[in-house]
Amino acid sequence: MFDRDDDIVERVVRQLRQPVSIDPALDARVLKQIADGPARPVAAPRSRFQWRRWPWLAAAAVLGAILVARPWTAGNNTAASSAFQFVLVAPQASTVALVGDFNDWDPARSPMQTAQGVWATTVPLAPGRYRYAFLVNGVEWRADPGAPRVRDDEFGTPSSVITVGGNGS
Amino acid sequence: MMLTALLLVIQVAAQDPRLERLDPETRSLVVSVVDSVRAVGLPTEPIVQRALEGATKGASGARIVAAVRRLATDLGTARSALGPRTSAPELEAGVAALRAGVSPEVLTGLRDARRPPLTMALAVLADLVVSGVPADSASAVVLALAPTARDADLVEFRKAVERDISLGAPPGAAAGVRALNTGIRGNSDATSGQPPSRPPSRP
Repeated sequence: MFDRDDDIVERVVRQLRQPVSIDPALDARVLKQIADGPARPVAAPRSRFQWRRWPWLAAAAVLGAILVARPWTAGNNTAASSAFQFVLVAPQASTVALVGDFNDWDPARSPMQTAQGVWATTVPLAPGRYRYAFLVNGVEWRADPGAPRVRDDEFGTPSSVITVGGNGS
Repeated sequence: MMLTALLLVIQVAAQDPRLERLDPETRSLVVSVVDSVRAVGLPTEPIVQRALEGATKGASGARIVAAVRRLATDLGTARSALGPRTSAPELEAGVAALRAGVSPEVLTGLRDARRPPLTMALAVLADLVVSGVPADSASAVVLALAPTARDADLVEFRKAVERDISLGAPPGAAAGVRALNTGIRGNSDATSGQPPSRPPSRP
């Protein structure tokens, strides 16, 4: 196998050593174009205005980088997420929304659908621990009766907690 | 002046737009907590979410700021106990365990006994204590199960204990009895499906 490789290398080296033929008139043509062309400075003189432009360019670059990276969405990584269904039995309710750490506590993001008083919605969750609650009729907070409660209800309303393991358990 | 303008642009751009739901004064204080937390390498998302929770629940600015400051402190405590390379979900679960009454030493012991991620083990520990199981008993049980039990085993264990409690069993006794059964199964690698424990890969 090595002999064959050596042969190939030898052939490539031989090919590379072949002299390259160049048009003898090339030099003359290039020199003529240089002589005929307009005179251009090698570099434009630096103006004061351009020197002061760098902070704005730097700011624009930083702004662009931040908008592209969007560090505030780092916690919303939905990679390797699993779908979880949340259910609340509330026959008297006219609206129920699921809010929690997974939807920025925004009632508009996870409205629940009802079937004869059983409200349900499905949310994709990446591994982690999430606090959440149900908002009934836009005013009443309810914890999930089927999930562990949060002990530190710092805002005076009940919340539940769901933990998603690495394998979606 | 140019430098000031540059700093202003950076500050405005870096500010989380979700926090615009807070009033200006509260937002300013929450942003300062977020910046402090980021500066020491702790996750900022739990802070943002706690502030948003407070805003949606109509809490006062003072209450929101107090909550996020307390959370920032607890995240630091959890990281001290669990190590500098602990993930954000693990830290959050660690905070829950600490707030439930589990000691930082137990968190460190759990880190030493179990391969990462520790999120589920910490969460089960916190949930057991919230269910009424004394912190010492819950800690002992989870530490005993930690080397071999899978996440799903721990979840099943918690559900079984909570079921027993709902049927009238004293929480401590429920955890003890269930641990006896689960512990026997969990210590057998053949039945638990978990490879033998090895030293965790994190400090």
